[in-house]
Amino acid sequence: MRADDIEVRNPSGLHARPAALFVKTAARFTSAITVQNLTTGSAAANAKSILAVMGSGAGRGHMVRLTADGPDEEQAITVLHDLFASGLGEELEG
Amino acid sequence: MTGSVRLTGVAGAPGIAIGPVWRFDAAEPEPGAAASRPLSGQRPADAIEAAAAETARQLDSLAGRLRDLGREQESAIFDAQSMMALDPGLVEDAIRRAGETGDPAEAVRAAAAAAAELLASLDDEILSARAADVRDVGARICRVLRGEVLDLPAVPSIAVCDDLPPSVTAEIPPGFLLGIALAGGSRTAHAVILARSLGIPAIVGIDGLIAAVDGRSASSAPLVTIAMDGERGEVVVDPGASVTTEYREREADLATRRATAAGLRDRPAATADGERILLVANIGTPDDAPRALAARAEGVGLFRTEFLFMSRQTPPTETEQVDAYRRVLEAFGPERPVVIRLADIGGDKAIPYLRLAPEQNPFLGVRAIRLAYADPDLLLTQLRAIWRAGAAANVIPHVMAPMVATVADVELLMSLRDRARDTLVGKGLPVAERMVTGIMIEVPSAAFLAPELARRVDFFSIGTNDLTQYVLAADRGNAALAGLQDALHPAVLRAIAGIVAGADSAGIPVAVCGELAGDPAGALVLTGLGVDELSADAGSLDGVRAALARVTRPQLDELARSALDAFDAETVREMAGALLAPAR
Repeated sequence: MRADDIEVRNPSGLHARPAALFVKTAARFTSAITVQNLTTGSAAANAKSILAVMGSGAGRGHMVRLTADGPDEEQAITVLHDLFASGLGEELEG
Repeated sequence: MTGSVRLTGVAGAPGIAIGPVWRFDAAEPEPGAAASRPLSGQRPADAIEAAAAETARQLDSLAGRLRDLGREQESAIFDAQSMMALDPGLVEDAIRRAGETGDPAEAVRAAAAAAAELLASLDDEILSARAADVRDVGARICRVLRGEVLDLPAVPSIAVCDDLPPSVTAEIPPGFLLGIALAGGSRTAHAVILARSLGIPAIVGIDGLIAAVDGRSASSAPLVTIAMDGERGEVVVDPGASVTTEYREREADLATRRATAAGLRDRPAATADGERILLVANIGTPDDAPRALAARAEGVGLFRTEFLFMSRQTPPTETEQVDAYRRVLEAFGPERPVVIRLADIGGDKAIPYLRLAPEQNPFLGVRAIRLAYADPDLLLTQLRAIWRAGAAANVIPHVMAPMVATVADVELLMSLRDRARDTLVGKGLPVAERMVTGIMIEVPSAAFLAPELARRVDFFSIGTNDLTQYVLAADRGNAALAGLQDALHPAVLRAIAGIVAGADSAGIPVAVCGELAGDPAGALVLTGLGVDELSADAGSLDGVRAALARVTRPQLDELARSALDAFDAETVREMAGALLAPAR
């Protein structure tokens, strides 16, 4: 199992469009992947479920923990980390 | 057979339509309604999975069709809905529920309702707004499970319903939707936004609509006809020949006005003899900015900030506010000033985290700036966010405080403004170079004190809605007092004349941001009284621009003089109307 903590930096957080991109990407991996909002202390949510990801309420500036467990866990964490760092399809500010 | 029935609602999107009714019943199947029958031999789990996949396929194809039409924003809604239909959590929950009850459609409905409730409970406006999308997906899967087909209009029709969900409107072929008349809904409903983008009329909140339409179709003709005027918010059921003629005339008039207004749009607002009037927009959220810019607003005269504070359990953070203000400041840029109004909050609004004491008369109570005497934190946070947003967007922000009644209120405002700045500077955070600071004049005492207040602030903005309510002591919400709620009442106009004189004595500008500014007749009277800036809903700007272009300064001066001498609002309205009557 791999884990990674990262700050949500895109302006609208894990909402609608960025959440959709995140879930579509997570769904490409066979590993079980979760996302947990550390700032609000939500439970770990299935990263392949758009409703669960939106339900984690991760807004801009929140810290989230990604975990991946399975044959492609290493690659999953790397790709998802880069996706967050690049702003989840949104332009990063500042 | 009775004659036609005239009903009124809230204007959503302008336009005239006359046509047959297409009744859509958006009601979800109630729990316990006729149980769905899974296809013979199919297990409930398989039926749900197949229906979810079929629903996702339909939504994908809708999204694709809209994208091809260049309707990207709507297309994104269906993309997200398609993912919701296939959501493993939703599907699993539905299968589990179906295992308990044996009714797959009811299980899907309940699972979608539970997911929607979770989103609605989040302390986040954007996410809670998605709750309706989840319910809509649930209803769509249910239809597939039940083998129901949406009964789409067969001829170009006016949709009559309580509310029209986006997935339904998107399936109606272009040209088959003439207008949207809703018994429920709000001006910001999906259906209204859609109507504006299609250029068809929409009216929301029409009391008695469903009963009037369904009553007709049950008793008489199989096809009920209605006429609607989206600008006036008026619907006529069974219009008959004379109303039809009247509506066709209005349609022709609207087409002429639109053509004239569109022709004027690329020039700044001015009178026929070339006097410039600053024409700006009222907005309620950052999402209103594109519409205001498209209507060629030269800025924002009223950016209401209450949306940040409503429907949530905790106050908005400073950072969250910086983001919202910055988005608007950046959208309008340095050339088009944006006036941010500090939160106009009081006992009439349920805001749990403020613990406001219930009051007998919230509009005469501890609201807006008055809250800051006991607890300045709310305003200080907001002012800090505005200082920071100005720096981030590299513009000079404008702010105004509502409900100012005394010189002491202005002194409090100025000290909070400076304190907010000092705190940020102390932390080494960047702040705007300065903050243009004004006040709303809507309380009679402020109108009387205009000269004293004008010396202490950068501008006035008259809120004619509240000023009228306070000057005439007539509750805005009391329908029995309609005769005392017209801001063109000469008593209100005399107050405005005094406010303008006070502002002139100190050399500061006066804006009006009430509904009167967006009413062509009102705009003429206000300009006649010496108001420098008119701020109204984006949809009203074309009409005001066209009205101003038809009159000269001497005509406006004469109008103002006679209006101040009149005894009632109707007379003033007739005088202004005479200037606007088409030259025959």
